Amino acid sequence: MKKKIALLLVAAMTVASLVACGNSAEDAPAAAETEAPAEEAPAEEAEAPAEEAEAPAAEGGSVAVFYYTYGDTYISSVRSALDAAFDAAGVAYQDYDSNNSQTTQTEQIDTAIAQGAKVLVVNQVDTGSDDTTKNIIEKATAANVPVIFFNRSVSEEVVTTYDNAVFVGTDYEMAGHMQGEMIGNYVLENYDTIDLNGDGVISYVMFKGQEGNAEADARTQYGVEDADAILTAAGKEALSFYDSANSNKYLVDQGGAWSAAAATDYLQTALSQYSEANNNMIELVIANNDEMAIGSVTALQNAGYNKEGATVIPVFGVDATDAAKDAIAAGSMIGTIKQDAEGMANTIAQIAQNFQGGADKFADVEADNVVGTWRVNIPYATYTGE
Amino acid sequence: MAENKLKAKEQAFKELSSKDKTKKITDLLLNNAMYIIIILAVIYISVKVPAFLKLPSIVNVISLTAAKLPIALGIGGCIVLTGTDISAGRVVGLTACISASLLTTTFKVFPDMQSAPPIIVVLLMIIIAGGLVGLVNGFSVAKFKLHPFIVTLSTQLIVYGIILMYLMKGTNNGQTLSGLTDEYRSLITGTLFSIPTATGSVAVPKYVLYSIILVILMWVVWNKTTFGKNMFAVGSNEEAANVSGVNVSRTIIMVFVLAGMMYAVTGFLDGARIASANANTGLNYECDAIAACVIGGVSFVGGIGRISGIVVGVLLLQIIFTGLNFLAVDANMLYIIKGLIILIACAIDMRKYLVKK
Repeated sequence: MKKKIALLLVAAMTVASLVACGNSAEDAPAAAETEAPAEEAPAEEAEAPAEEAEAPAAEGGSVAVFYYTYGDTYISSVRSALDAAFDAAGVAYQDYDSNNSQTTQTEQIDTAIAQGAKVLVVNQVDTGSDDTTKNIIEKATAANVPVIFFNRSVSEEVVTTYDNAVFVGTDYEMAGHMQGEMIGNYVLENYDTIDLNGDGVISYVMFKGQEGNAEADARTQYGVEDADAILTAAGKEALSFYDSANSNKYLVDQGGAWSAAAATDYLQTALSQYSEANNNMIELVIANNDEMAIGSVTALQNAGYNKEGATVIPVFGVDATDAAKDAIAAGSMIGTIKQDAEGMANTIAQIAQNFQGGADKFADVEADNVVGTWRVNIPYATYTGE
Repeated sequence: MAENKLKAKEQAFKELSSKDKTKKITDLLLNNAMYIIIILAVIYISVKVPAFLKLPSIVNVISLTAAKLPIALGIGGCIVLTGTDISAGRVVGLTACISASLLTTTFKVFPDMQSAPPIIVVLLMIIIAGGLVGLVNGFSVAKFKLHPFIVTLSTQLIVYGIILMYLMKGTNNGQTLSGLTDEYRSLITGTLFSIPTATGSVAVPKYVLYSIILVILMWVVWNKTTFGKNMFAVGSNEEAANVSGVNVSRTIIMVFVLAGMMYAVTGFLDGARIASANANTGLNYECDAIAACVIGGVSFVGGIGRISGIVVGVLLLQIIFTGLNFLAVDANMLYIIKGLIILIACAIDMRKYLVKK
């Protein structure tokens, strides 16, 4: 009897502790649900003047915009720019926060279609899944509403199955290629300064934002490969990962949040083992995004690097966030790749209006950026300070 | 004197039958399993990667432990009450964002501000903010008789919403807050003292000191105050505590308020430690904190737990993470190892409790 009770209690405790820790992942959809009403208020406020300003927009129904998460810095800048673009054009719209859950997003799309949304603008949560895209397109086809996918990549085969579907994004491999090229050229120019221990090999660390994300995979791969190509072409050694035991050749944010804290903790730990004193200092930091680049700068600064007058370990990121630009201006970071949030927002707003007004879907969109009949690429740019 | 005692123990042990002897040894091993695991882990890792036991690495583990301690100290009290607090991570995020938005050189959230307010004012503000969330938690638990899981699930969501709104204020547009003032950063991450080594010196950051102070403070609160004794009384048996004149509601509310304040301190430290704050700051922090408490023997059964246990729990988790990092273990395995450690720790913890009964 006693044993049975013991077993039951152990089982209960295990479940309890698992539940306690599992909740943070599970609460994601719930979070989105509770936020939705809060979010509706400003959206409705925005609708009111829009209706007064332009009657056809109101008749045409509203544009429903689904963001993969409000917590993402870059997506937040797209959101402000897109809200502003819609406001300026007098288009009614409603924003949704999918809070990093594809389930939540798919349900939100159902709701929006049921509410009579006339254009869907989707920042898909799961980028690796064609089925998800297919599912969204099927819903849109059934309701006969156009879909504009943006930012997080979707595949060509799926998007081209529906005439009224387009993708506004960036050539996601491009950021990785450009970062790699920027790193290769920078390292080549400053080889001897960067090579602190003078062994002819630059040891680097790579911070990956998330597993199973196409952008992160491409940036992790090309950020190093392209730099290596430039270096070896010039007769230099290829970059070498600082920890030869790590076969992945990257450190990934365990929470998949591309976070500064993950990079800080990793680099702080690495620097306790790899230092100039031990003659094996990490000589180059490559990060999938600027958050992680900034986190790395913090860890380096805490170790006495990347400050005024101190040795600067070159740090590279992607996104060109305000924080990264400040760091580049201060000399504690070297370069980043700029994603044009406003350009993306304006293009989305233009296409949404084209769909609503019955014009050609790519009317008034920069023709150089249009790829085939399904896609607009917003160009990246390198940023190393102004 | 001590020798005599030891001899007496030895004698008593010899008199036991062989079956009892095995049982006694098993008990001893199981009751100290966490310490044994720590020692084995350290030995294994340092054999594989000798640098793990070098001074820079030890300082690294200690400072990472210090950074994660305050939130665990706060959450520990909630667990003693048989509850939990899953709003902790978001409170850390909110307070980190408030700190980073005020103690900065670029005022994006408050564009009209010209200079940063005194650090102490901001610290008090966020402690009040954290305490307020704790007050809502504690009040709902005590007065509405709701389970803390549900209450803090709700406040977690509410706080996240507030963070998102806060970050959209002014000219910030949801961007990461950075550009912190030097005074703020150096107050937290500045050098407490340097330990000279053969090849330079290793700096210990100031926040290690703050964590030690908090540990002492919480030890006094838990062990030497009426409030602490009431907390354990309410945790082990609410009815009995009520009958013996303990103000149960007030105790519960105070535990949650204190916890909220500790999260605020964590946010204050983390803002400067990471040197930036955004909507993801603090996400899932409560998971590690709860795990550390449970590993350290703070029991969900209620009324059981020690500050020293929490310190050991946080330290063990940090040693394992840092160590696995040194060993370049596949990141996916980290989740599995962490899960197993929590499971085993819980099982051992329950066993102790059942024996007592």
